Amino acid sequence: MLEVERLESFYGDMQVLRQVSLEVREREIVALFGPNGHGKSTLLKAVSGLQPATSGSIRLRGQEISRLPAHETVGMGLAYIPEERHLFPDMTVSENLNLGAYTPSAHGKKKENLEFVYDIFPRLAERRSQLCSTLSGGESRMVAIGRGLMSGASLLMVDEPSLGLAPGLKQGVFDAIATINRERGITILLVEQEIEHGLELADRIYLFKKGQILFERAAEEVNVEEIEQAYF
Amino acid sequence: MESFVNALVSALTTGSLYAIMALGLTIIYGVSRVFNFGHGIVAVLSAYFTWLFLGQLNLGLLPSILLSLPIMALFGWLVYRYSINPLLHKPNWEFSTVLFMLGLGILLENVILQVLGPRVKSIPVFFAGSLSIGFVRIAWHEISLILIVVLALVALNVFFRHTRTGQAMRAVAQSIPGARVVGIDVERIFGYTFALAFAATGFSGILLGTKYYMTPHIGWDWMVKGFVIVTFGGLGSTTGAIYAALILGLVEALVTLYLGAIWVWPIWFAIFIVVLLLRPQGIAGGRM
Amino acid sequence: MHLRSYLTWRNAVVVVGLIFLAVYPLFKPSAYMLHVFVLFFVWAIVAQNWNLLMGYAGIVSLGNIGFLAIGGYVSGILAKSFGLSPWITIPIGGVASALLVTVFLGLPALRLSGIYIALLSLVFADSLPSILTQTRSITGGAMGLHEIPPFFPGMQRVHDYYICLAAFLVIMYVLYRTIHSPTGLAFVALRDAEPFATSLGVNRFRERVKVFALSSFLTGIAGGFYVHSLGDISPTTLGIEPFLLAITMMELGGVGTFFGPILGAAVIVFGNEFLRLAGLLRLTLLGAIICGIILFFPGGIMQLLNQLMGWVRQRILQGRWAAQDG
Repeated sequence: MLEVERLESFYGDMQVLRQVSLEVREREIVALFGPNGHGKSTLLKAVSGLQPATSGSIRLRGQEISRLPAHETVGMGLAYIPEERHLFPDMTVSENLNLGAYTPSAHGKKKENLEFVYDIFPRLAERRSQLCSTLSGGESRMVAIGRGLMSGASLLMVDEPSLGLAPGLKQGVFDAIATINRERGITILLVEQEIEHGLELADRIYLFKKGQILFERAAEEVNVEEIEQAYF
Repeated sequence: MESFVNALVSALTTGSLYAIMALGLTIIYGVSRVFNFGHGIVAVLSAYFTWLFLGQLNLGLLPSILLSLPIMALFGWLVYRYSINPLLHKPNWEFSTVLFMLGLGILLENVILQVLGPRVKSIPVFFAGSLSIGFVRIAWHEISLILIVVLALVALNVFFRHTRTGQAMRAVAQSIPGARVVGIDVERIFGYTFALAFAATGFSGILLGTKYYMTPHIGWDWMVKGFVIVTFGGLGSTTGAIYAALILGLVEALVTLYLGAIWVWPIWFAIFIVVLLLRPQGIAGGRM
Repeated sequence: MHLRSYLTWRNAVVVVGLIFLAVYPLFKPSAYMLHVFVLFFVWAIVAQNWNLLMGYAGIVSLGNIGFLAIGGYVSGILAKSFGLSPWITIPIGGVASALLVTVFLGLPALRLSGIYIALLSLVFADSLPSILTQTRSITGGAMGLHEIPPFFPGMQRVHDYYICLAAFLVIMYVLYRTIHSPTGLAFVALRDAEPFATSLGVNRFRERVKVFALSSFLTGIAGGFYVHSLGDISPTTLGIEPFLLAITMMELGGVGTFFGPILGAAVIVFGNEFLRLAGLLRLTLLGAIICGIILFFPGGIMQLLNQLMGWVRQRILQGRWAAQDG
């Protein structure tokens, strides 16, 4: 579904992505592990169009999207859920979710998607008229994921969904992701620091270090220690 | 007592005019963080267009106004697309945009001066006569101005809350990365914002032109007052701007009544300085 | 090797320029031309100090003409009313300017971000004419201050010329040294990469106050030289035209470069005299020039010159290589 081939990207003079190649197949959950600051978020940003790619190719369902700006990739079924969330603070939960369906392609399914979001995140249904600036960390994570779902995406790229959350909430987020994948058939590309949970969720994993893919494994063929060791 | 009440009534009119004027400034800043130093010239330009259509082309008052507004919107979009947008992509955009708009303001002001001459102009009032209730006297025109402004504010509110583009503008104002992530074309929204803001500012200029005598230079006065109002209200906050406009309209009316017109400008400056020194984020706690 | 030749070329131009300025009066120019040169010296100082604030320290300031006016008025009033010598009143004017600016702009600028500082400086300069009008008895109000004593009795234009030239050279030297000192580096660091600079120990607060204090002090001094050479000053100096002219000097010359404002001042001051003929069109032209430069030539004349020098060097290099190969 998503094919990234020899992708490269720079911040000014500094190269952050080196010849990155990976793929995500339909209905899969792929996890991206690796030490912080090595470019995992940049990779997701480059795929979504928020970060310019200097060379290489990115293909979504066969279509080349590497030169497209962010607002166009969303319309093609690709949603990026940033680690910083970037919610609209002075808008309510429901307004944020509504804006998630901004693109014309998302408009038709708005009601259906909204119901689904409130289904998997009942807490949001309770808080639908609350301003996002007043939400807790876990709740704003939920809104961010919900907003991504509202775009009607078939591929969700989630950047560190459990970061900063209490253990109980972490599990809730992972369960939600599993549900999204299982019930809606939405493909997931996940960046995570929680290796154990990530391995449970994922079908395949990639290890990402210093701007490059180190290796790829099926999730059941690798364990937590192996991955942790690879960080160093 | 009489004069006090009449001053209050007059304050309502000026306050309303200031409100619609400040809105144009606050919309641009709120969405794009560009502070429009061409605010004054936009208002004046629009008023002069209306005057031109009215006087030289002999269109009616309403057609003249309705023709000026889309022209100003287009002008706003062009300014964004061909000047502000390129500048935003280069370093030091904060002062290049300020200086550019200042230069544009001077250029246009003098072009108007050359083309239309220095003689004072004005736009005719909408209605003649006045209404008297007891000792209070208010011109029908002033009542119409207040109603028009209220309608405009309601329309803008509806636009921002219930239209897709309006919501997109609010989204961009609150989080540019967030807007991108939901598929909003941020630069296109900036363009629409400039168009809308120039139209709003232009509209306020036309209304002001019915109440005050115009010269091309008067834009600077309007602009400085606009700056004080949006800072007092809180940069980026439309509600703040409206409250600030009403409050300052009242202050101006009372100062004129009790201290004399000569104190009006010093008081505006004093308020500006006090706000900037003591509470720069204004009433509504705008962006710092 | 080529770098060295480039530097020598630029230094040669500077030396020639200095010699020219030093001997110019020997060509017996008219008093009017000497007057224009005095204007050039003063405005070059204003532009250079404004450039220090905006170009090097990255602070959007719109009120620098106010610094000039404060220095000029204070010096003029003290000299005229108390008979003090300009050599004493000019520094006092500079200090007065620095004090007022530091209190009203420098200190608030510590807490405020870009646009607010710009607005504050705008108010600062815009409110001065009103203050001048209210203090009519001391400042002469809208009519201005006239018959300000010259540096010494019986002065001629030529003496003004040399005195202002000396001031120009000294102040430019001071600014040059400042820009190339650790302080200057600190200014630029804060402009370009604030978090990085702060992590290195650059104290944003101290540097901001410093840059405001220095530029206002020197501009205030320029104001003093201005009034004692010209003999009068009025609120029109605080009008929109001098403001735009000063901005154009910086933009035209090249903001953020050392020689830019000097070149820009030269072009504007000498060009302005010729532009007087254009009458009303002058302001229109000024507006158009500002817009045009910002959009198309943000680096001003210095950028053009650098490009030209680069092009010339390329040609020379190619010539040498061709000669070697051949």
